[in-house]
Amino acid sequence: MSELAIRRGAAPALAVEGLGYAYPHAAGRALEDVSLEVAPGEFVLLAGRSASGKSTLLKAACGLVPHFHGGEIEGEVRVADIDALATGPGELAAAVGYLAQDPETQVVSTTVAAEIELPLEMRGDAPTDRARAVEEVALALAIPHLLDRATDTLSGGELQRAALAAALVTRPRLILLDEPTSQLDPVAGDELIWLLRRLNEEWGVAVLLAEHRLERCLAAADRVVAMEGGGVGFDGVPADFLAWAHEHDHALTPPAARLFSLADIDPLPIGVRDAKQTLRGMGIGHPPHQASRRVPHPHPQVLQAKGLWVELDQGEETKDVLRGIDLQLRPGERVALMGRNGAGKSTLLRTAAGLHQPVAGKIAVGSIALLTQNPGDYLVRERVGDELPGEQGMAALRIVGLEHAIDADPRDLSGGERQRLALAIALAGRMEGEQPPGVVALDEPTRGMDRSRKEDLVALIEQLAGSVDFLSHSETKSTRGTAVVVATHDVEFASEFAERVVLLGDGVVIADGPMAEILVGGWYFATEVARVLDLPGVVTPEQGAAALRGEGG
Amino acid sequence: MRSPFAYVPRREPLQLASPGAAVAYLGAIVTVAFLYSNPLVLVAAGAAATLAGLLAGARGAVRAGLRLGLSLALLMVVVNALVTSRGETVLARLGDWPLLGRVDVTIEAIVAGLSYGLVAVASIVAFAVYSACVDPDRVLRALRPLAGRSALTATLVSRLVPVAAADAGRLRDAAALRGPGAAAVGKAPLARRLLAGSLDRAVDVAATLELRGYSLDAPRARNRRARSRYDRRFYAVAAVVLVTAIAGKLLGADDFQTYPSIEIGLGPPTLAVAAIVALSGLAPLKRPARRPAHRLEVARV
Repeated sequence: MSELAIRRGAAPALAVEGLGYAYPHAAGRALEDVSLEVAPGEFVLLAGRSASGKSTLLKAACGLVPHFHGGEIEGEVRVADIDALATGPGELAAAVGYLAQDPETQVVSTTVAAEIELPLEMRGDAPTDRARAVEEVALALAIPHLLDRATDTLSGGELQRAALAAALVTRPRLILLDEPTSQLDPVAGDELIWLLRRLNEEWGVAVLLAEHRLERCLAAADRVVAMEGGGVGFDGVPADFLAWAHEHDHALTPPAARLFSLADIDPLPIGVRDAKQTLRGMGIGHPPHQASRRVPHPHPQVLQAKGLWVELDQGEETKDVLRGIDLQLRPGERVALMGRNGAGKSTLLRTAAGLHQPVAGKIAVGSIALLTQNPGDYLVRERVGDELPGEQGMAALRIVGLEHAIDADPRDLSGGERQRLALAIALAGRMEGEQPPGVVALDEPTRGMDRSRKEDLVALIEQLAGSVDFLSHSETKSTRGTAVVVATHDVEFASEFAERVVLLGDGVVIADGPMAEILVGGWYFATEVARVLDLPGVVTPEQGAAALRGEGG
Repeated sequence: MRSPFAYVPRREPLQLASPGAAVAYLGAIVTVAFLYSNPLVLVAAGAAATLAGLLAGARGAVRAGLRLGLSLALLMVVVNALVTSRGETVLARLGDWPLLGRVDVTIEAIVAGLSYGLVAVASIVAFAVYSACVDPDRVLRALRPLAGRSALTATLVSRLVPVAAADAGRLRDAAALRGPGAAAVGKAPLARRLLAGSLDRAVDVAATLELRGYSLDAPRARNRRARSRYDRRFYAVAAVVLVTAIAGKLLGADDFQTYPSIEIGLGPPTLAVAAIVALSGLAPLKRPARRPAHRLEVARV
């Protein structure tokens, strides 16, 4: 908060008073009597469930609401003392930067340098000033090597940084970010959060960050604002937020805080360092980590890949995306496929589903249903029943619990229901009666999901897998059930559904073993509870609380 | 997957040149292709465009351009051979065809079709090189002061084309991944879905342009990279090619006749024009960096 002291007396970076807003033709209001202030140089985390009004509030702060989206608005929004309701987003861009969830639609130029330079050019800045500003922001974000790259050759993380640079190049007093880490792997996500913290501390940029994965950014925040039904449910420091979330909305409690609350330890920690300090104060030690071992793969198998090489054409060159993958899946297994962006997770699933042909090695899979990253791509008709006609379609709807929605328009379904409908479309005709196919694969299914929707997805995965208990990995288990393999960056989600984790790195399997062993002992690919306790086999708050109670007793 | 025609930034002379210089240079080659019908000159124009693309590092674009151009050329040869029965040397008499009437395939008609095809090959390769080597942002920036609204539309379109191409690829994949029990997806629902998605994408891209200040009326500052040290070279080569082509045309270098019999002029003017046009393909050649002559002396000091 030292930055606050330095800049005391300056106008708030953002001041919102009595803001209410409804999108055009919307049934309800997206924002209702919102009042909050963000001080210069403050780092504020915007928490809340899906559709609680976070994104709309950010759009109001950058002028897109109402100037771009239209609708009915009341109240007052001031950004660095500029009236945002009377001023358009273009003029506001000098005072506020905005970074949305999908980086692909946030770049409009062919090269990174041109993209960053564009706002300055629009403002009429001199060429020398533009050159210097581009250089400085590129250095600050560690992307000088990307300046001459074409934007359509960048990875998700690189694209997100380029868009952030374009938002920061005008040296705004406030930067607004809408779930910027949702498409990033844990490494890139953590890098982005700490980059924001550094910019916040060194440049004095106020940050308003909307995020679902609170465990990633709570420790970096000065303050938390929790949205509830379009209004502000909580506004205070992170420690108080944890107590509020514990009382009011369990879905907003990060894993380390859940661990402490289950173990009856006070105060609730706002991050890993905080939790470790509290535990050290209590005299609780950390046994050394044990190396993971490979899971044995007894027969039968529903998927078998042996020495799998896949080469993809990337325009001017081809790249070996998978390099000699060996992988076996058993019936009923729940597997998390993890790794950095570009490690080959999606390519492996797409190869299993027959979208890519291997250049060497082989992959054998009986029957597989793959749901790709954008469930909306599967929905092309205006009635659920038209997407899934006949008895096979009905059976698929039953298995995802959507048989009641047969006459609905897919666009009227919630995000979670649309995802289940897309899965039903992939399953239809691949089932044996009411039994799903041998393998169900989901590619990054939790993007933009809040915790309650993730819990629903975990339940669906368990149902698909036939609730077969493989935790002991003995060879006497049932051979029925569907193997569910999920490519995900979400470590906490993986810890909730998976019994096995396969970690890919640059196209090769770098770890393969029980979830409770793989998600412990690392830094990026480890749950928050595992990072706090570093106990073998302890990854979830429930396991952690049990371990702590055991040690305490 | 990226389109082979997509712009790739490189530190090569053609990419570093200003859009005006690059357009003048490649445009001169295309002008020759449209001015001439002599196959030797047309081959030279095609070779110049190919060489320029290869020297600029746009191998993928040249390959794709050649593939497209040669396919089109083959089509032109076949169509011309079937629809034109002029010429003295009949290769095959194919009798009476519906719509076409009597079809006699002559060598002259095939060669005439080949001449049209060569124009297509040279032009398509030149456009492919332009597409892969000239930064569309810089072209749009150059146009913006002249036609702001058109430049905005072109900016939106130029960004939406790769986004829509990626969306179409994803939709195709999703259609392939539908279970056999789900309703089959025809081209019409897919196209409708792509169009609806494109409109959403257009709104997102337009919002980004709005945030970047595209709607501002601020004075447009001069572009930092308006000129490059290679501009003079490309303008000079363009001028030489155009002057040579026009002079050659006046001196009879385009001496080529297909009907009733083939006559190809291969006199000195034709050979000179062909040689100069072909050599113009070397314009994007990068000169090796000059070693500083005083380097050792400075080191000794």
